[in-house]
Amino acid sequence: MSAFAGFGIWAQRNRWIWSAIGVLILWLVLSVVTNRFSLSSLSGVILSASFLTVVGIGQMFVVTTGRGNIDLSVASVITLSAFVALLTIKGQDANLAIGVLAAILLGLAVGTLNSLLVVGLGIPAIIATLATGYVLATATLLSNKAIPGFIVSPALKELATGRISGVPIMAIIAILGVAATGFVLRYTIFGQLLSAVGQNRAAARLAGIRNGRVIASAFIISSVLASLDGLLLGAYIGGAFLEMGQPYLLQSIAAVVLGGTLIFGGSATALGTLFASILLVLIVTTMQIIGLPPGAQDIVQGVVVILVLALAGRQALARRAFVEIADGDHDATADAEASAATAQPK
Amino acid sequence: MSQLAVAAQDSAATAAPAASARPAVVALSGITKSFGPTLANAGIDLSVDAGDVIGLVGGNGAGKSTLMRILCGAMWPTLGSISFAGEEMAFANSDTGEAQRRGIRMVHQELSLCANLSVAENFFLETPSDSASRPGWRALYRARARAALDAVFPGNGIDADAEVGHLTIAERQMVEIARAAATPGVKLIVLDEPTSSLDLDRSKQLRAFIRERAKAGLAFIFISHKLHEIIDIASEVVVLRNGRTAWQGHAADASIGKLVQLMGGNADPVHQHAVTAASSQDVLVRLCGPLTAELGHDIDIVRGEIVGLAGLEGSGQKELLHAIFKPERKQHAGVSRGAEAGFIAGDRQKEGVFPLWSVLGNISIGALARRPALAVVSDRANRDTASHAASRLRLDEKRFQSSITELSGGNQQKALVARALVADTPVILLDDPTRGVDIATKQDFYRLCNEVARGGRALIWHTTEDAELLACDRVLVFSGGRIVKELAGEAITEQAIVGASFAQSADRQASAAKDRTAMARFGRRLVNSAPFIGLAAVLAIMIAINPAVASTFGLDLLLMPALSLVLVTAAQMFIVGGSEIDLGVGAFAGLVSVLSATLLYDQPWLGALALVAALAAYAGLGGVIQARKIPAIVVTLGASFIWVGIGYALQPTPGGASPEWLSTLFGWSIGFMPTSIILIAAVALIVLVIDRLPLGVVLRGFGNNPAAMIRSGWSPTRYALVRYLIAGLFAGAAGLSLTAINTASDINSGNSYTLLSVAAVVMGGCSLLGGIISPIGAVAGAVTLSLIGALLGTLSVSSDYNAATQGLILIALLTLRSLTADRRSEP
Repeated sequence: MSAFAGFGIWAQRNRWIWSAIGVLILWLVLSVVTNRFSLSSLSGVILSASFLTVVGIGQMFVVTTGRGNIDLSVASVITLSAFVALLTIKGQDANLAIGVLAAILLGLAVGTLNSLLVVGLGIPAIIATLATGYVLATATLLSNKAIPGFIVSPALKELATGRISGVPIMAIIAILGVAATGFVLRYTIFGQLLSAVGQNRAAARLAGIRNGRVIASAFIISSVLASLDGLLLGAYIGGAFLEMGQPYLLQSIAAVVLGGTLIFGGSATALGTLFASILLVLIVTTMQIIGLPPGAQDIVQGVVVILVLALAGRQALARRAFVEIADGDHDATADAEASAATAQPK
Repeated sequence: MSQLAVAAQDSAATAAPAASARPAVVALSGITKSFGPTLANAGIDLSVDAGDVIGLVGGNGAGKSTLMRILCGAMWPTLGSISFAGEEMAFANSDTGEAQRRGIRMVHQELSLCANLSVAENFFLETPSDSASRPGWRALYRARARAALDAVFPGNGIDADAEVGHLTIAERQMVEIARAAATPGVKLIVLDEPTSSLDLDRSKQLRAFIRERAKAGLAFIFISHKLHEIIDIASEVVVLRNGRTAWQGHAADASIGKLVQLMGGNADPVHQHAVTAASSQDVLVRLCGPLTAELGHDIDIVRGEIVGLAGLEGSGQKELLHAIFKPERKQHAGVSRGAEAGFIAGDRQKEGVFPLWSVLGNISIGALARRPALAVVSDRANRDTASHAASRLRLDEKRFQSSITELSGGNQQKALVARALVADTPVILLDDPTRGVDIATKQDFYRLCNEVARGGRALIWHTTEDAELLACDRVLVFSGGRIVKELAGEAITEQAIVGASFAQSADRQASAAKDRTAMARFGRRLVNSAPFIGLAAVLAIMIAINPAVASTFGLDLLLMPALSLVLVTAAQMFIVGGSEIDLGVGAFAGLVSVLSATLLYDQPWLGALALVAALAAYAGLGGVIQARKIPAIVVTLGASFIWVGIGYALQPTPGGASPEWLSTLFGWSIGFMPTSIILIAAVALIVLVIDRLPLGVVLRGFGNNPAAMIRSGWSPTRYALVRYLIAGLFAGAAGLSLTAINTASDINSGNSYTLLSVAAVVMGGCSLLGGIISPIGAVAGAVTLSLIGALLGTLSVSSDYNAATQGLILIALLTLRSLTADRRSEP
């Protein structure tokens, strides 16, 4: 029993474990049922999950800033970036550097615009990123007309689809990214500031943190990661098409929430986002193997997100109740203490 | 009861003969309330008879609020009993609702009106029962509000149809007082600082009203810091001090001097203040300008001193602390700071702790916040600095790993002080840091403050506890936002502080800024009319280029596709009214369209059943969001996948057919008037009517001030369900219109409407914070947005620019709105 209790406490601090367990169980079940599900097929799943992980990590930064912040522009950024990559690289390895630079610049520009609207003008994140998404949609349509052809630079193609001794390069990139993010969140000042801002903005401001900068950085990180992801995703599928980023909108949020990052902000886990991405892709794969129609896949994804939120809501409820009780008693305790100071004999 | 109370009762008896025979309206006896080791109320007896006017006075933290909370059922005492009309009641059964049913009303100091509703509508929320839902209910409440306001404040000039958010603070206070006084069956009204923002005339009117109603048997408890008012109005005065009744007697036996002495004279000094050691002339903070105008000289705060900020609560002390913390803001002219400042908040939950972190994390953030963002955090270094600070505070290092929320208030406060110490700033600002802190911690705290100051820092200390000011080297007494007195050294006594804050608390706060915002108001009006101007401009351009557009047929062709977006926008508007956003509303419309073109076409009964089930699921979603307090954005985004998934499963490729009756419903024509315009106008009208019904008022109330709504007895979950049900009906209608217009269905046909509807709602002038709805504006916005494509076509611009134009319009409008924002009506 005490081992269970100990695990419970440990799992509360390491919420990524739940999605990891989910991955393990689903994979075992699949292996048993299909009799041929193996490590190599898992590596295929991980390859697809890598693309989700990269954008999920960016989304995680935004969600962690709290107040229900969400970046709705990631889908448009992914699509546009894939087109921009085709435009700039033109299938030549020689142009690769320009392409990567263009992707980064695109991410920086969109992130800056988003944070200008959110931090500078105080527009709610969901509306601001929504509006940015509209503008990007047009840019995508225009670049769709301008692309010379669907040729992907071989080096980029290798990066997105290749394997090193069986392990997809993309998965290595994603895992390295997750490790780096984990380090940033846990061991750098920025990680601490981000968590502080997400937990309690007023307290963060009074502790001397410049909230605006922290929130702006989160939006910029999100856009840059989405942009790089679009570049790689385009290389993976060998081109680009309109709406190619669309599935990543809900999935990136789902990966963040499923992984154990708090939707109310303040606590993030990169590892959880990685496992949750794999889990989500596994769920889709499972449904394909079982032969469920495409509609059912959507339904299952939606149900999973709502269920996880409704269950995780309890945690958030407890936290809110704590704040509310404290608020309610507020004046009373002030009274009590004030009188105590003079009432009690020394 | 004193003789006067009896006399008052006698006079009441002439007006209402039955009153004299009855027992007290409410009687509290032996009320004791403890918070941990401290007693907020200790053995207080209070009996209120019909016609009594009890003046309740006491210094900051004397226990008045606690006693009144207990009286109103908002809090249970540790010991003691309460009886209504002689009938004793168990506290387990008492809550605010019960107290209200027994005729007790309290006018709170922090106002509890819904700022987005009109005066009359706020009267409705408090006493909804007898309105029924007849047409003209608004006139009834308008008349009632008028009468109530005129009864208390003759010649007030408040428009019963005015939005409360646009009233001045004084007017809001008048509305709240009148609302409580007009409640049917009210027996006792508790007024907490009712005159704090009223000018002298209004205050006189209020007192005249109280006197008159008291004669008729209504009882009052009047809490005020304005002692002359107490002496003027009260039949009996109760002085509280340290949670006990310090004096209770005839108002005629009281004088201002006597009351001041009773409240705060000769207290035991908490801490004998040490040698005045303003050792250096190194000025860290300078205050000048209007703030210090009354003193006649600037104030310099130097290294090594403790400066206390005193005065009645809310006289400008907190504002000064925040101004010193961020002096670069424009409105803080007159405050300059020469060194870094740290802040210790007394409101620990709202402004202090980071609830997810350990104690150590909460301490070390103070130092981390001032380091470069990419530097690496070292647990060991954190621990070393923190333990140094903690040892000075006697905060046990073993607790470093516990969660901050597990600590007592006193220890949490120690952690916050430690945070300021590790930040190592020359100026430390303290915002009432000892509230809710036990006595032992307080003593540690005072000792530490002394040490820190003598170590060469400046402490600026706002406290609501006057006795603490004795620990300061200098005390600045505030009144009405200005510094009115400076006390130093031996001159700092509790009596001097109380005297200074009360002497100056004349009626001067009232006339705050009323119309410095004429420009902003003009800007707001312009922004609000933007959807109409936009719509007119778009239509004008199109007609100018292609006159055929102006024909019935042309308009129909153009506007019919807008109908579905208008309906989805109507749905979205109700959700936004509750300060949520539905990202699945378009998908839901798509699903309804699929259901109607497949099931409803093939098997009408099964189809109808499926539609009802879908509607129920949609409404249930609202219930889940409210009950679990989870973000609507993500839930509805998840739900959108479910709607789309079901649609795909039913109909993998576009197809189906529109039931005949449905096509007829949208396909009729009366010739001279375009059908689409009639339908769109009808939708706008329906939304407008719902919004004007009592139901709409309640929904908007929830969007603005849920706490006040719950206080008035409305159920949040029920209205969340109702809100989503209404939205679902509109989204469903949008789905049916899609089927009828396209004569087939496609699950993806509604998708683009989701984000467009949010844009239309925002364009139309609805506030995303909730509670502000403008049906006509949103409909105009929706039509404008849906015309953008056609407009670009007419201008021979590629339709690729469609989305960008919509997005840029949205950004431009939001920017304008943010620049002209009505700061006052923000919550």
